[in-house]
Amino acid sequence: MNFELNEDQAALAESLSRLLADRYGFEKRRALTASGAAHDEKTWAGLAELGLTALPVPEALGGFGGGARDLLPAMQAFGRSLSMEPFLASAVLAGTALRLGADEAMQTRLLPGMASGEIVSAWAHDEPAGRHAPLWVETRAERKDGGWKLDGIKSNVPAGGLARYFVVSARIAGAPADANGCALFLVDAKDAGVALREFRLVDDTAAGELVLTQAAAQPLANPEDSTRTRLAIQGTVAAGIAAVCADMSGAAQAAFDLAMDYLRTRKQFGRLIGENQALRHRASEMLVSLEMARSMAMAAAVAADDASAEDSAPDLHRAKLSVARNARNVALGAIQLHGGIGMTEEYAVGHYLRRIHVLDQMFGDADAHAARLAAALL
Amino acid sequence: MDLDLTPEQRAFRDEVRTFIREKLPSEIRERLRAGHPPRKQDTVAWQRILNERGWAAPHWPKRYGGADLGPMERLILLDEAYRAPAPLPQAFNVGMLGPVLMKFGTPAQCDHFLPRLANLDIWFCQGFSEPGSGSDLASLRTAARREGDHYIVNGQKIWTTTAHLADWVFALVRTDTEARKQEGISFLLIDLRTPGITIRPIHSIDGEHHLNEVFFDEVRVPVGNLVGQENKGWDCAKFLLSNERTGIANVGLCRERLDYARELAGRYTQAGKPLLDDPKLRADIAMLEAETRALEITNWRFLLTDSEQKRLPAFASVLKLKGTELQQEINALLARIVGPGGLERRSADEVTHGPIAPRYFLSRAASIYGGTTEVQKDILAKAIVG
Repeated sequence: MNFELNEDQAALAESLSRLLADRYGFEKRRALTASGAAHDEKTWAGLAELGLTALPVPEALGGFGGGARDLLPAMQAFGRSLSMEPFLASAVLAGTALRLGADEAMQTRLLPGMASGEIVSAWAHDEPAGRHAPLWVETRAERKDGGWKLDGIKSNVPAGGLARYFVVSARIAGAPADANGCALFLVDAKDAGVALREFRLVDDTAAGELVLTQAAAQPLANPEDSTRTRLAIQGTVAAGIAAVCADMSGAAQAAFDLAMDYLRTRKQFGRLIGENQALRHRASEMLVSLEMARSMAMAAAVAADDASAEDSAPDLHRAKLSVARNARNVALGAIQLHGGIGMTEEYAVGHYLRRIHVLDQMFGDADAHAARLAAALL
Repeated sequence: MDLDLTPEQRAFRDEVRTFIREKLPSEIRERLRAGHPPRKQDTVAWQRILNERGWAAPHWPKRYGGADLGPMERLILLDEAYRAPAPLPQAFNVGMLGPVLMKFGTPAQCDHFLPRLANLDIWFCQGFSEPGSGSDLASLRTAARREGDHYIVNGQKIWTTTAHLADWVFALVRTDTEARKQEGISFLLIDLRTPGITIRPIHSIDGEHHLNEVFFDEVRVPVGNLVGQENKGWDCAKFLLSNERTGIANVGLCRERLDYARELAGRYTQAGKPLLDDPKLRADIAMLEAETRALEITNWRFLLTDSEQKRLPAFASVLKLKGTELQQEINALLARIVGPGGLERRSADEVTHGPIAPRYFLSRAASIYGGTTEVQKDILAKAIVG
């Protein structure tokens, strides 16, 4: 058993924290959102320079072959700084889907460019009617003129507007909830059949609704290989769960730190508010929640990396459930300890609740994972 | 970063599991599984079996009957005991007094007491709390005055768990009434057969007798039974209270009770259907299992990682807070599951019908003893707010 970062992980985490402290202070982030930009291009270039965009890419394709454990401290740093970079969408989600689901030719074509940060791709899997069902796919793929055409709608595609390519799940056979009959496709954002309705999520990050109308698509690998597709989707979702668990635990840490600073500096009734036992006890409860979130973010990373281990599947569900609940508790407590200022958009603390709320809704919310664990009890 | 046991630890776990399976009498196992507290004779019998392997006091040095085991191996022993379930080694002897004697006691005290503590030849109880001194322990008033080779003890202890089963008590007594409250306290070992001691039962809300009042009236204690220096007993107490961290989270207990909740939910029916068919109940179990896993990893993280201990020296309070919260929620869940079927008050001889509802009542003590939930929150707040 080991709970420490190795030297490489610690060094990368430190460089990243420095980059984000420099580029992503809360005021800079506010200015960024106000400008209408979807992300900060200089930060993205900095991430590439640090080798972070290359971290999850296999070594043979210009990357470092890192796993969820290696990404854990980085994702925590993104959470702490409320990053709007398309790292989750491209490096984690689309990258994992390509690594697990694409044949060698397509990996060779795309992953080196994603490793260098030049190509941003996005993962387009969730559909409105599926809500939290992990494998619900209504989008249809049909063979036409020697190629494939897709029709369907993908909801809340993270960083959709920044993507040059979409990795899209579509059905070649069967009903929406069937475990088999799906395949993964690559869709060029510039294709005539692709329309993206861009919007901001409630945490200011960019997303979009992808509407595919006879969009030209290239299968990542043999589209008849449903098993591989299912494993690729599951692996991508597992990587996503690990990443957002780390992100939420980082966000919770930052909200906690802000609240503790506030308790130590804000005076009311002639004394520091941190002298009041009711507030001190709430702070302690928040610490307990924060420690649980940190632990389960580690569990998620280990489970995502060791997908075949006995505890892997239940640990991913438990982690998503537990981190979401505990991180949310911390954020709620942090707002309450701040009082009125915690409710303002110009102050950082409330933004952590916004982020945690968004990440809770990705890859199945706390209730959905509780329900899946509950079903497995029978 | 990984959450796996090493091959050696895995082998040790299997060895412990096999040992318990082969040696633990099934009647003891069944009683504990059903929710009965361990009887004295069961604890004694099992601890002596463990002691033959050095596993009664696994963290003690071998020369005193321990096995010199590290924190992970201790946790494995503890988890396997809960998993069985088997009685735990008597905590006052092994977890509390033993380490205090090794740190503060004389060689003669160590040689005399430690082997007897490990083998449970003598049963110690803890005389700390007093009617006027609960969470504010250092305000205690039970006094000991020196007369020749003896201390003469007068006063009263309360909430003394298992005093009625015990042979000895380790007690905090005031030996200097002038000094600041922490500075006039001494740590004494007192033979409960000494004249002048009266033990009265206190029945707790589970209807059982675990707790006692202990009265001291001109009780003569040889000065050789002083542990550490006179008026320095608070150091012993602080060490004792901070030393016992391995078992504080009670992860194994949570897990065993959750497994039993699943088992009962499959066995109890409502309108002809197993309770486990209820998705709400299943989701509640799943949620508690997830939080138990979070506690388990947090427990490992702090107990096994120096850098984490340095980052948050008060980590034991995190473990105690979350552990007691979960124990209480799980006991409440069990009481919900047995429902109306758990209302009939039964005798302790009915092995298969454990006292599930009474044990739920008793579980409320977990957030009161060993530093209340509020005291733990004060400790954490000092660490994080200042």
